[in-house]
Amino acid sequence: MTIQSPEPNDSRAASGDEPLITISNARKWFPIKTGMFSPVEAHVRAVDGVDMKIHRGETVGIVGESGCGKTTLGRLVMGLIPMTEGTIAFEGEDIRDINQKELRRRLQIVFQDPGGSMNPRMSVRSIIGEPLIINGLADGAKLTKKVAELLSVVGLKPNHMNRFPHEFSGGQKQRIALARALSLDPDFILLDEPTSALDVSVQAQVLNLLDSIQKERGLTFIFITHSLNVVNHISDRVGVMYLGKIVEISETDELFANPAHPYTHALLSAIPQPSVDAEKTERIVLSGDVPSPANPPNGCSFHTRCPIAVKGKCDVDEPELQSVNGGHKVACHFPVEAGGSLPIHTE
Amino acid sequence: MSNLLNIRNLRVHFDTLDGPVEALHSVSLSVKEGEIMGVVGESGCGKSVTSLVTIGLASCDVDEGSITFEGKELIHEVPDVTSKTLSAVRAFTSIAGVCLIISMLLLFNNPDLGESAIVTSLLVLTVCMFFIFIFDTPTRHHEQFLRSVRGNKISMIFQEPMTALNPLYTVEKQISEVLKQHGKLDAAESSLGLRIGKALASPAILLVNFIRRDLKGGAQLLGVFLFILLVQQSGNSDAFLDLLSYPVALLADVVVLLLDVLDRLPDELGLGKNMSAVVSLVELTIAGLIYLYIRALFHVPDMLSQTVNHVISRTPQILVWYVVIFILLWIPFGVLMTIIGTVVILAIPPIQVSGYLSLDPAHTRQVVKILEDVRIPNPEAVVKMYPHELSGGMRQRVMIAMMMACEPKLLIADEPTTALDVTIQAQILGLMKDLRDREGTAIMMITHDLGVIAETCDAVSVMYAGSVVETGSLEQVLGSPRMPYTIGLLHSIPRIKEEGEVRTDLPIIPGQVPDPNTVFDGCRFHPRCPFADDLCRSTPPPMEEVSEGHFASCHHTELTVDLEAAQLAFSAKQFLQSEVSVQ
Repeated sequence: MTIQSPEPNDSRAASGDEPLITISNARKWFPIKTGMFSPVEAHVRAVDGVDMKIHRGETVGIVGESGCGKTTLGRLVMGLIPMTEGTIAFEGEDIRDINQKELRRRLQIVFQDPGGSMNPRMSVRSIIGEPLIINGLADGAKLTKKVAELLSVVGLKPNHMNRFPHEFSGGQKQRIALARALSLDPDFILLDEPTSALDVSVQAQVLNLLDSIQKERGLTFIFITHSLNVVNHISDRVGVMYLGKIVEISETDELFANPAHPYTHALLSAIPQPSVDAEKTERIVLSGDVPSPANPPNGCSFHTRCPIAVKGKCDVDEPELQSVNGGHKVACHFPVEAGGSLPIHTE
Repeated sequence: MSNLLNIRNLRVHFDTLDGPVEALHSVSLSVKEGEIMGVVGESGCGKSVTSLVTIGLASCDVDEGSITFEGKELIHEVPDVTSKTLSAVRAFTSIAGVCLIISMLLLFNNPDLGESAIVTSLLVLTVCMFFIFIFDTPTRHHEQFLRSVRGNKISMIFQEPMTALNPLYTVEKQISEVLKQHGKLDAAESSLGLRIGKALASPAILLVNFIRRDLKGGAQLLGVFLFILLVQQSGNSDAFLDLLSYPVALLADVVVLLLDVLDRLPDELGLGKNMSAVVSLVELTIAGLIYLYIRALFHVPDMLSQTVNHVISRTPQILVWYVVIFILLWIPFGVLMTIIGTVVILAIPPIQVSGYLSLDPAHTRQVVKILEDVRIPNPEAVVKMYPHELSGGMRQRVMIAMMMACEPKLLIADEPTTALDVTIQAQILGLMKDLRDREGTAIMMITHDLGVIAETCDAVSVMYAGSVVETGSLEQVLGSPRMPYTIGLLHSIPRIKEEGEVRTDLPIIPGQVPDPNTVFDGCRFHPRCPFADDLCRSTPPPMEEVSEGHFASCHHTELTVDLEAAQLAFSAKQFLQSEVSVQ
């Protein structure tokens, strides 16, 4: 079973295909206060100027370390938290102007912890059926039929309908969460680390399910994850985030074959691969931790850990996201050329 | 290399309200000296339970099996007769306890009978307790032996460093505590007398430091002391303690706030910090004067204190005591809180002093040295920090430093990098490998990430549903796996595609890890296995040596010689359909 490889972005843009979601200059700064009435002391720049276009039918992966703003970006796209600056448009219309009920019907979300996102006192039937009831789409016997249908779509049995969430394993709970997201037949689903809490063999089952559902229904996904293996498998395009900014975005194959940003290089070399025969490449070990988003470094936010940072340039000027090869964009003053490698950095 | 740790046929169960749950069925694994042994499996396979049983921290009962460390047995087996007798005696003890209470009540009704009943039940209680003491001795001795092993010879790194570290103590204190417990602390440099002196002087030093840091705050503090002194000297201290003084003090505070405008004056005049301290002194003096003036003008507090005195003098004191005792006795929670509160308040000064006592420059240097070994940048600053001030990777490093402080022979790492990001994970794994190379510590690495295993380990054991199903060297298990579960697990990890490769469905293992209570006659993996036949359903497979040092527990190891064919069998259509699929 193969999937048609998606057309490159540029040709889509040229054919006038309007992107489903357009994120322009999105910023979310959380204020830091020491007391109820005290003035704002500083801001945590969780998302700090993200531009992105998501086309219909594609899967965009967003990867990054914890605290880099992946989930906040997802929440902004869903309209769950107000933005500080910038706009997010759904089919050309600002999400703040769209009717909330309508917006929720068309944009759905699957959370990381499936157990935490379900009411333990509700049966599976009412969990999956609640969106349908709220939107007045189904009721009574029709609802039961619809829920049974949804359960079989995600590979569960209709007789699971009267059970409660605690009776299911992690993978099955995630399937129920997916069925709930699918119940309103949305155009777009945000998947916020849907497989991080699952075991490898179950993760494979859920990823396959997501894949087949996307093919059947022509859904658009944003797939937020910290696992590069998973993002490589599922995504058509990948954006790498660091300290609230997209530092590199490209087609999946291009990004994994020719990473241009030093951070992407380091990330790729840090994934432990479960094979013995692959020659052990010297890995790039980054020193230190991600800086605090409340006090990001001047210039390029990565320069404190970057093995090729140049003094006087990287710590002064902030690099713009610019194209290196067609749809492959990178925010770096000295992008690594295709096939190039980084010097191994020692602490 | 000889085996450092040997686990043989370990079978344990947990007692739950729904009956016993057998967590481990048959676990056999061994760790050689200086080896990194990976234990891998999905959640619920019993990896953590194995490690906890090894160091004697698990709350489960061992049914059979043995764990030997350096040839010494770590599991203390209580003979069946003894444990039954002990539980019977314990039950008898509780009955005797109840009898004692009843006989105490009986004392009110029939003093003679009550007295003899009390004596009898006390006698029975004493005999029972003596009996328990005698029969429990071997267990107690074993627990002492385990305490000498734990930390000294075997130590453990837990998954989440934030919950394993104490948030109330600095890194320095926590690490030196481990050293102290195991008698590895360097001799103190300064004499005891000097340290006691320092500890007693520490509050004053703190105060001086505070004043030096914040001159204005210090001046205000000084002002408050002066103010209290003034009030006392003027003979108005009883009035000062009156209730009414609070609103007046509040008023004085408001005046202080208003006068705070004066704060800006020194800045504008360019007089600097010292001047602002003088200004706040002036403010407080003015506030104090206003207070005294108001008090003198209205005589209000005096009237109040007279009334209160009047009421109190008319009330018989014995009545007050009666009420107090009544409340204390009849509200047990209140009693408890009083006791706890008193104890805490009494305990704070000694604890504070002992905290300062134990800190010696020599100890600090020792801790800094240990932190340097785990490559923590700027260790002199880190020793003074609390766990919440450190990032996840640093916390895990502190944890490793703490566990390595006593130079154990075996380090059990329970998912040490699961909570960390990939770039930090790379740092920590490198550090652990480094430690092994330098100190020769054997490591038992428990993880669910086969990538981590491939990166760090020398040998691997794969666990499934409470038993080890495959074990061997890294090359053998990851390169040519023979147990179908290992094959499926390795195959179902998404790998990085080659450029231009089209995406296909991920190969899966259908179904999920069975519930630990499910009874299997045969192989525990057979419902998810493509090679399962009647033999697998009826007979549990033995551990078979498939090549030297490589064991797999499967009836059909001959079918898995060809790895690719075995992988194909997992994705075969009729297998996936015939199987119960998701449930």
